[in-house]
Amino acid sequence: MDDNDQSESSRKSLAANRRDVLRAMAALGLTTGVLGRYGVSAAFGADFDWKKFAGTKLSLLMTGDENDHRALADLMPQFEAETGMTLEVTSPALGALIEKTLQVLQAPQASFELIEFLGFLTTQQVGAGYYEQLNQYIDDPTLTAPDWEIGDFLPPAMSNVGYFDMATKTVGKGKDIYGIPGMHSGSVIYFYRKDLFDAAGLKPATTWDEFKAAAEKLNSADVAGCSFIGANDFSLATVDWYTRFITTGGKLMSGSPQTKDFKPNVNSPEGIGALQMLIDVLPYAPKNVTKYGFAENVDGFSTGKIAQMVFWSTIAGPIFNTENSMVADKTGTGPVPAAPGQTPRAIQGGWGMGIPKNADPAKKQAAWLALTWLTSKAFNKYEVDKYQIDASRTSTFNDPELVAKFPYLPDSLKAASTADVIPTSYIPEFFQLNDAMNVEFNAALLGTQDAKTACDKVQASWEAILKKAGHMA
Amino acid sequence: MTIAMPSASTKYVFGKPENPRRTVWFFLGPCVAYLIVFSIYPLFHSLRLSFTDLTAAGGTGNWVGLKNYADLLVDPLFWNAARNSAIMVTLAVALQVVLGVALAMFFNLHLRGSWIVRGILLLPMLIPPIVVGVMWRALLNPDWGLVDWIISRFGLTPPDWLGSVDMAIVTLVLVDSWQWTPFVFIIVFARLQALPQDVFEAANVDGAGSWVTFRRIRLPMLMPAIVFASVFRAVDAFRSFDLIYGLSYGGPARGTTTLSFFAFQNGFQFQNYGYAAAVAYSMLIILAVGTTVILRYVHIRGPGQ
Repeated sequence: MDDNDQSESSRKSLAANRRDVLRAMAALGLTTGVLGRYGVSAAFGADFDWKKFAGTKLSLLMTGDENDHRALADLMPQFEAETGMTLEVTSPALGALIEKTLQVLQAPQASFELIEFLGFLTTQQVGAGYYEQLNQYIDDPTLTAPDWEIGDFLPPAMSNVGYFDMATKTVGKGKDIYGIPGMHSGSVIYFYRKDLFDAAGLKPATTWDEFKAAAEKLNSADVAGCSFIGANDFSLATVDWYTRFITTGGKLMSGSPQTKDFKPNVNSPEGIGALQMLIDVLPYAPKNVTKYGFAENVDGFSTGKIAQMVFWSTIAGPIFNTENSMVADKTGTGPVPAAPGQTPRAIQGGWGMGIPKNADPAKKQAAWLALTWLTSKAFNKYEVDKYQIDASRTSTFNDPELVAKFPYLPDSLKAASTADVIPTSYIPEFFQLNDAMNVEFNAALLGTQDAKTACDKVQASWEAILKKAGHMA
Repeated sequence: MTIAMPSASTKYVFGKPENPRRTVWFFLGPCVAYLIVFSIYPLFHSLRLSFTDLTAAGGTGNWVGLKNYADLLVDPLFWNAARNSAIMVTLAVALQVVLGVALAMFFNLHLRGSWIVRGILLLPMLIPPIVVGVMWRALLNPDWGLVDWIISRFGLTPPDWLGSVDMAIVTLVLVDSWQWTPFVFIIVFARLQALPQDVFEAANVDGAGSWVTFRRIRLPMLMPAIVFASVFRAVDAFRSFDLIYGLSYGGPARGTTTLSFFAFQNGFQFQNYGYAAAVAYSMLIILAVGTTVILRYVHIRGPGQ
């Protein structure tokens, strides 16, 4: 080796050492902080060998639309320090994520060992046989830490992304597990302005009639009496209409795709009634509510311009963030309103994480180990504490420290525990059905058609799609 | 000067000069390979896809012949998208040609400082259409958008830019024209600069007024440039996707869903790849037929013809 080679080698060695020291320092600093605040060492169990796959490089494909990737970035040094593995993360927005995921799953060998998938796509992706069955890993004590506890995940979340019966292609059935809830789950809760309700002598709405009455009374030039997603947006159908629909006794589908009699009930009296409810509160909503999607509603509520709304509980993050929200200390939460005699409940949302069947076989066990780390109690707690992301574990929702800090958590847990997996997610055509509904409902809110016409159109459109796909004879 | 002649032992890297075929393939080969891999193969692959029922869940598609194309013909959503595409292309190109020619005529006066304005005028073309879409969506936001704020300062009620089904397509045309009128302008302006002056001097001597000169001489001489710009813009507007994605996302109530957006929805939202490919190929057919008809029947006459 000549001098040049030697100096080059020394430089590389120094660079590597410097990188290692920095990484170790970061890991130590973060680990110390997290250990102190979240009791991570206890959560990860002292006897369990987390480093059995040290040196393995893994790749994770996950959503970049939510805050999960931020939490992961925070804890990445700790992950590397504790497992000795490296995790490369790719986090595109939803549309690109679906496209890329399908490409990866259909390739001869997946370029990712871990993939986060949307609960609504479980049938499309898990049902097509693209994911590894996870029971063998869960049952192996050398691969799964004893305190990881599969039973701690919320049952509706497990039904949404975990259990899948391949024989009947039914999500939420059987004992075979293909996905683990994570990095977060969630449902829909009721957000209201405590100060405005108190000043008007009102109680938070428990029925839709009370919701409308409160909207009428609280509506002013500065504050809209209520709001909802009125734009041609994914959540118009899944949050605002569907919540009203099922809490007034509606049943979205009858029959099943397996028996080819999967028939929609969109134009049932409950379906038309749910849409009419949205039309009826238009005078008390922001004047541009038909253009309001997710961001507009969160901005409107957190800047004090909306008195009440039902919404994904995941927005608790920005709403209760004292630095950015003007109503953090003025907001109350509760279960969604329901018709008398009906149980308050809403749609099940959230994500699952799985291992592609076509991933490198030599890395699958390591991928599972990483997956348990990413869905651990400690990680889940960190996400809620730092970003108020919806938890996927019962223990996180019930954590006394978190509950004291975030009073909305019990309501969020109640919603998540009673959440309803929307039956259209049982078939791969979910997004197509959802789009047809959003377009017609948005048109009804714009005043170009009435509620019955809109529901009739959606019913006809859904029947055509279901027949073409072979789910309805 | 002496030129060294090749000796019998000279080794040619690309073969002997008297047999240039190897040299030609050496240089053209990579380009041909690139075209085959990245243009021709995808074209034929997507054409084959359009005859299958490939969906994401299925993984492999079954051959369904012309079924996707037959389904398109009876799909009201396809015809809605085709109608929106036709409206957008017609209005956008017409507006851009009128404004582009007017601007070219104006800048041809060579007023002082006009070169600065001319440069600024070209800036929108440099912005990616997706950014233009998002930017104008923010500017037209009914709650806090700058445009509505300015209009309301004059005591006027702003239009429902992106909230009304009828208005949204007009807004799309206006935003597209904001970005691409400079393209028409620069093509026409370049042609205008190159027109022979003796023709206009002769017209002037013959007593032709400015309107007659424009209508009978200048406009016909500009026609090649106008037709070129129109066809180019029509093709581009017909394929426009990213502007719609950023500005209106096809809404409200599918009011701005054009064929390209419809193809995107079917392909990447609903994962009906076979059907989406059929939509894309129907666009190709429409474009090929449309362009051929335009170029066949619009006679372009040059000076003196």
